[in-house]
Parts: sequence; C-alpha cells; structure tokens
Amino acid sequence: MLAGIAALSRLNGFLSRVSLWLAGAGLVFMTLIVFAQVFMRYVMNDSLLWVEPVAILLMSWFIFLGSAVGVHESFHMGFDVLLFFLPDSAGNWLKGLSDLAVLCFAIGMAVYGWQLMVRTWGTTLPVIRLPGGFGYMPLFTGGVLMTLFVLEHLLQRLSGSRAEAQQDAEDILMTEA
Amino acid sequence: MEYLILFGVFTLLMLIGTPIAFCLGISSFATVVWLGLPPLVVFQRLSAGISVFTLMAIPFFIFAGDLMVRGGIAGRIVRFAGSLIGHVRGGLGQVNIAASTLFGGISGSAVAEAAAVGGIMIPQMKERGYGADYAVNVTSMAALIALMLPPSHNMIIYSISGGGRISIADLFTAGIIPGLLLALALSFTAWIVAVRRGYPTEPFPGLAKVFRFLLESLPGMLLIAIIFGGVRSGIFTATESSCIAVIYALLVTVLVYRSMSWRDFVHATQQAVRTTSMVLLIIGMAGAFGWLMAYLHVAQISLNWMRSVSDNPFVILLLINIVLLVLGTFMDMSPLIIITTPIFLPVVSAFGIDPVHFGVIMILNLGIGLNTPPLGPVQFVAAAVARISIWEAMRSVWPFYAAGLLVLMLVTYVPALSLWLPALFRGL
Amino acid sequence: SAECETTLRSSDTHPDGYPTVEGVKAMAAEVKEKTGGRICIEVFPSSQLGEEKDTIEQTQFGVIDMVRASFGSFNDIVPVTQTTSLPYLYRSEDHLHKVLDGPIGEEIAGQFAEHGLIPLAYYDGGARNFYNSKQPIRTVEDLKGMKFRVMQNDVFVDMMSALGANATPMPYGEVYSSIQTGVIDGAENNFPSYDSSGHAEVAKYFTLDQHLMVPELVAVSKTSWEKLSPGDQEIMRTAARNSATLQRKLWAEQEKASEEKVIAAGAEVVKDVDKTAFIEAMAPVYEKYVTTPEARDLVKRIRETQ
Ligand code: NA
Ligand code: NA
Repeated sequence: MLAGIAALSRLNGFLSRVSLWLAGAGLVFMTLIVFAQVFMRYVMNDSLLWVEPVAILLMSWFIFLGSAVGVHESFHMGFDVLLFFLPDSAGNWLKGLSDLAVLCFAIGMAVYGWQLMVRTWGTTLPVIRLPGGFGYMPLFTGGVLMTLFVLEHLLQRLSGSRAEAQQDAEDILMTEA
Repeated sequence: MEYLILFGVFTLLMLIGTPIAFCLGISSFATVVWLGLPPLVVFQRLSAGISVFTLMAIPFFIFAGDLMVRGGIAGRIVRFAGSLIGHVRGGLGQVNIAASTLFGGISGSAVAEAAAVGGIMIPQMKERGYGADYAVNVTSMAALIALMLPPSHNMIIYSISGGGRISIADLFTAGIIPGLLLALALSFTAWIVAVRRGYPTEPFPGLAKVFRFLLESLPGMLLIAIIFGGVRSGIFTATESSCIAVIYALLVTVLVYRSMSWRDFVHATQQAVRTTSMVLLIIGMAGAFGWLMAYLHVAQISLNWMRSVSDNPFVILLLINIVLLVLGTFMDMSPLIIITTPIFLPVVSAFGIDPVHFGVIMILNLGIGLNTPPLGPVQFVAAAVARISIWEAMRSVWPFYAAGLLVLMLVTYVPALSLWLPALFRGL
Repeated sequence: SAECETTLRSSDTHPDGYPTVEGVKAMAAEVKEKTGGRICIEVFPSSQLGEEKDTIEQTQFGVIDMVRASFGSFNDIVPVTQTTSLPYLYRSEDHLHKVLDGPIGEEIAGQFAEHGLIPLAYYDGGARNFYNSKQPIRTVEDLKGMKFRVMQNDVFVDMMSALGANATPMPYGEVYSSIQTGVIDGAENNFPSYDSSGHAEVAKYFTLDQHLMVPELVAVSKTSWEKLSPGDQEIMRTAARNSATLQRKLWAEQEKASEEKVIAAGAEVVKDVDKTAFIEAMAPVYEKYVTTPEARDLVKRIRETQ
C-alpha cells in the first residue's frame, strides 16, 4: 500500500512539474501572440485572425494545467476558519471528506470532458479549422491530472502519511484575487 | 429542494474547507444530477466560462504585477514618493499612501501592492517609531487604491460576470475619481492619527535627490501613461493593454533596470500561473453555478424579494452594500464578484442604476472586505510583513474603516463621482 | 389546469422585449392555450444560459429544450447553413422569406435532424450593414484598408478580405470604445443593434449594403421533441409558424424605429450603394465555399427563387 502511494507520489510530482512548466510556457506564448496581434494591426494594418482562438485555447490549457498543479500543491483558496477551531483529528476527517468530493468532481471532469470532446469532434472551430473537440481537450486533461493528484492526497490521508503544507508569506501572496 | 442543494452543498463544502472553486463546481454538479439534467452541462459551462478573450487581461495584469514587484519597479516608486512627501507630519504614512496610489496606477492587485509597498515601508515605519498597527492599517487600506485605479482586473471580472457588455474602458475610467478620493480620505485619516500619536517627520532630502529618484522611478511609472495613452489613442484595446503591461514590465526590468534574472523570470511566471489559474478556475466553476442560478431564476426571486422590502433605490443600494460587506468578511473578492453580479446587477438595473456605477460600488465594497477578518488577504499580508497578529492591527483600524466606508457611501450615493469622467471621455 | 405538465426551456441571447424573444413568447402563449396549459415554454433571454453556440450544444445534448440562434452560429455544425448565409445571396428580405418559406426552407430544415435538432420556425434577423467613423461608403474602393470588427466566422472574415478591408476580431463589449479611439474604423450589424449598442454615437456613417441576411432559427431538441405526442408536435409547429409571422412584423417595426432614431441622432444612412460591385467582389468567397455540386445547385435555386 505505502509503496503504491509512494510510486503515485513520484509520478504526480513529475506530472505536476511538467504541467507547471507547460502552463508557464503557455502564458509566455500567449503574451507574445497577443502582442503580435497589436503590432500587426497597428503597425502593419493587417489583423492576425488566428490570435484570438489560439490564445483562448492556450488560456484554457494553462488554466486547467495550472489548476491541476493547484490541487497537487493545495494552493486553491478555501475557507478554513472552521478547521482552525476544530481538533486536528476532526479537521483531518473533514479534509478527507472534502478531498473525496473533489475526487468525484475531478472524475466527472475527465469523464464528461471526454464525452464533450467526442460529441463535438464533428464540428469545426472557426478560423483555425480544428475539430471542435479540441476545445474540450484541456478540460479532459485537467480532469485526469486532478483525479491523480487528489487521489494521492486521499490515499495519504487514509494511510496517515499526509503532511500538510505550511502556509508562509509566499503562499499568502498567491491567495489573492 | 434544488435551491437547498445548490446553496446548501456550497455552504457545507465551504465550511469543511473545500476550495471555493470546487464548492461552486460540486454544488452545481449535485444540483444538475438532482434535476435529472445531463451533467455534461456543468463541464460545458466550466469550459465555456474561461474561453473568453477578455479574461486574458487577468493573467496578463497579474503577470505584469509579479514582474514589477520582483523587478524593482515598485521599490523605486516608494523611494521617489518618500523623497517627495516624507517631510510632513507622520510622513512615512503619507509616503505609503502616495506610493500605493502611484503603483496602483500600474498594477491592479491589492495583495501585490500590500506586499510590494508594505514590504518596503512597514519595516522603515517601525524603525522610525511608528506603531506596527498603524503601519499595517495604512498599508492595507492604501492597497485598495490599486483596485480602483486602472488597470483593475477585478473590473474586468465584473464586466464579464455582467454578461460581457459593460464597457471595460468605461469601468476603468469610472474608478479613477473614487480611487483618488479614497487616497485623499486615507491620507487625511493617516495624518490625523499621526498628529495625535506624535509621529515624526522625515528630513527633506533636497530637490536634487527628489529629481534623481523621480528619474529612476520614471521608466516604471511611464506605464501609466503608456496604458492610458495607448488605449485613448486607439493603439490597443483595454484588454490588450494588459499584454502591453507585461511586455513593458519585462523591457524595463530586463533592459533598463537590469534587475530581472532568468530565475526571477521563471519564478514570476510560475507564480502568475498559480494565481491566475486559481482565479480563473473559480470563474469557470462560477459559470456552471451561474447557469444554474439562471435556470432556477435566482435573480428574479431576489429581485422580487428586494421589491417586497423596498422600492426605493436608495434603500436597495444600502441593502446590497450591507449584504456585500457581510459576505466580504468571509469570502474573497473575485468569487464574490462572479457569484453576486448575476444576482444583483439585474436588481439594480431594474432600479435604474448604471451598471458602470454599480461596478465601482461593488469593487470598493468588496475591496474593504479584503481587509476584514476572518478572510482578509490584504490585511493578512500587511500584518505578516509587520510580524503582528490581525487582532493587534484591528485595535486601531477603525478610523481607516470609517474613511473607507465614508468613501463607499459617497461613491454609492453620488453617481457622478463614477460616471462623470467616462461621460467626459465618451464626449471627446 | 394551472400546472404545466411539461416545461420547455428556451434560450435567447437577446434581451427581453426584443422581437426574437417576443416571438418565442407568443409561441409559448399559443401552445399553452391550445394544450390547456399542459405544455409551457419558458424563455431565458439575455444569454442567461450561455452564448448561441453553447446553447445550441445544450439543446443538442438535451440539457435545455429549445434555442433561438442565428444561422451563422450553426455554420460549423450544419454545413448547409453556411451556403445559405453567404454574403449578398438574397436580393431583398422578401426574397429571403420566399426561399425560407418554400421547398428550400423544408430542405434545409431536414438537415438539422441528424444533429439532434428540429427546426420549427425561421425568424428575421434583418440585414447586416457596414458602419464606420471615417466616411460614407458607396463603392468597394471606399472600404479599402479600413478595419472592421466582424464575428469569428470564416465566411465573414473572407468576405472582408474580398472587399479589401481588414477583418478584425474583437469582443463585442470593446467595439464601442475601439471605434471611438480608432483601434478599428467600424463594424457591421443591423439597425436595431447599431442603435442599442450605442455604436451609432461613434460611427455615424451607415451604409445600407445589406451584405448579410442571416435568418434566425427556432429549434427544439430532438430528445424533447420525441417526448411530445404527435398532436402536441402539431400544435408546436403551428404555433411556431404563427409566431414567425408576428416576429417578422415586430422585426420590421423595430428596424424602422431604430432607423428613424439613429437618423434623428445624426447618423448618415447611405442608400445609393454601388451594390453590383460588392456582389462581383464576392466571386472568390463563393468559389471557396460553394464547392460541391449540391451547394452550387442550392445557390442557383436560391437565386432563381422569385
Ligand atoms: Na490599478
Ligand atoms: Na474579509
């Protein structure tokens, strides 16, 4: 059991790092093409029509990859005032419950994301002429990653090997909107 | 029953600490299953909710903010503000507010502002004998100016939550006077408290130094002019200006200040990915939640309820302000904008209130919520920098809250404060 | 019988009071009356349930029961709608009505079934026209080099390049300030939208070139349709047809009212357009999109409809 969890941990650690790098690259690439759009329209008087749909696809990818990393790193913002006042054992129990709910949703994301992909494969995305299913690919991928990541947390909790990450000032910086 | 499932599951999950994004998604999922609808729709709304071009401004402005903090643009602005007005009574408090106003003109994030300005100002203030509570309160309240002055990605979130037809350029312009008014009110409050507590003044460094610090901070501050000028002269749109901000912040920090290493850049990029994917996932999940609220006519029900309470727009606005302030104590800004806009906007529109005006009210109101425990991320950052507890800071926060609430009431009941400037620009 | 046995939920992107919304509401009233209150149709206006493409998908999946959307939004799902949305295909709104209400309309409707949709009525969406902030447009040359905001749709984009102008994609909410500041020179739409969006304030030259007459469609989900008895289906069809008559009348009134309003507010409506030149410039667009023998035949028959 523990060896299995450790193996899943290693796989997830790798997937999360790759996702974070891909998402970062997506953000940088998005910056470049939107800038190219402004440049082409204003300086060259010629609009790049593919920028908008490509940028939206990129954004979708980096959000779902980044959110999956968020599940892995537990940085999604929540309201944990109640947990603060409860004894650790009860808190741990509630967190397990919460992980379970997230797991159900993540599986839903993967399953229904796949269905949406299949059902819209026959349509076409305007301008870039890709099958419509491409639009739902980030959703499906994000769902699969989140399922793996939250499963790891849940298994660790069940086996009593989960160590909660400590929030520091750097983390607080991120929990802003 | 379906209402109970939607809001009940949401509340329950929130109480057990489930991330807000998933509270929204899971409660929508449960409701759709209960209604016997294909669950597909939840995930379609999630995906569609984030596939909006205008949303792109959020990652860009956040990315630009991370680059500016890490690349030393914020630090130079603080130094300039310090040299300029440090010599009045309680000068460092005034410097803090002035720097927040200047930095707020190029960044839209209140937390980034609290971290950037507070990170430099709070230690200095403590060293010069200012109370840590005072330093925290000035920093955290002044950070809200960033939300009001353009650029402000929260205004974009509001525009999108309102159906995407509220002009972002108008919202940006509408926040300027209220933002400056907030700066003024805080500055006055900070001065009164400083005088009563007998805080010191700083020596005036001489015009030569003021000029030098101005020159040093100018490349960063020029972004205000570039964004505003670029949008006004038709080079790019308000949404695209966010991308220009990233490019410009990179140019200044890499080429002019030479303060951005590859490591810093990677770090800033990854931080921006974390923050934005968190915010945007909430937006996507709220798309599913909002779809159900529309399907279940939540807006009409609340409109009818409000009508039964009063038919006076004055009272309705007061009521909405109170509800938002209460919600703002324990929830964060962007999810609240996303969840409450589809409910309140039809209500206030029915009462003849301009959507741009209401946007400014909402941003300021929820901004104050960023400084109220139990969930006050801006206050939390400032207190963490000052190494005091939230409760220590809270002892003397009241005059600053009062200033914020006074400005909120002015903005609520004097629509011209928000609407005059956009109308002026429309007329040009 | 005050209680509805079946509630059909219908989506619209336009606000309450708009002719398309009023059309479906009129249909709802007739259906409710003729079924003794058993079947209710509830309209969700103002994109409450999503944009057109999203709500079409929802109708296909059986999440909601009905959708009102422009033919343009079906282009990437039902290919025939692309042919029937080609620029300058119809001589007049009257011509368009004759095509839709005749055998061609039936034929088009038949192509939706395999995509999970049953079309019930063709509504009017008016003619789309160019407007800009720079100059009155009478000839194709006047358009050269200008930047126009168009929807993200291949036909529209290719139409703009065929006319020598730049198609510029942009979110609708940014069009007003973008015309005002000069990011773009203009956009294109019908009279009511030109008026309600406020674009008439910043782009006062409106050219009545009628480049696109894209019909609006009311369709019901195949899943929901098959749950209705044949008798109820007939009631729905009749009510939909009647609502189309009303909607077209409401549309014409609204178009007239908006035209008068924008003219009173200072817009300059150019009516003496050299339309032949615009039509001739469309040759490459037709070459690109009318590729199959069936499509060529359809275009020919539409043109021949008198
Ligand atoms: Na700002
Ligand atoms: Na709060």
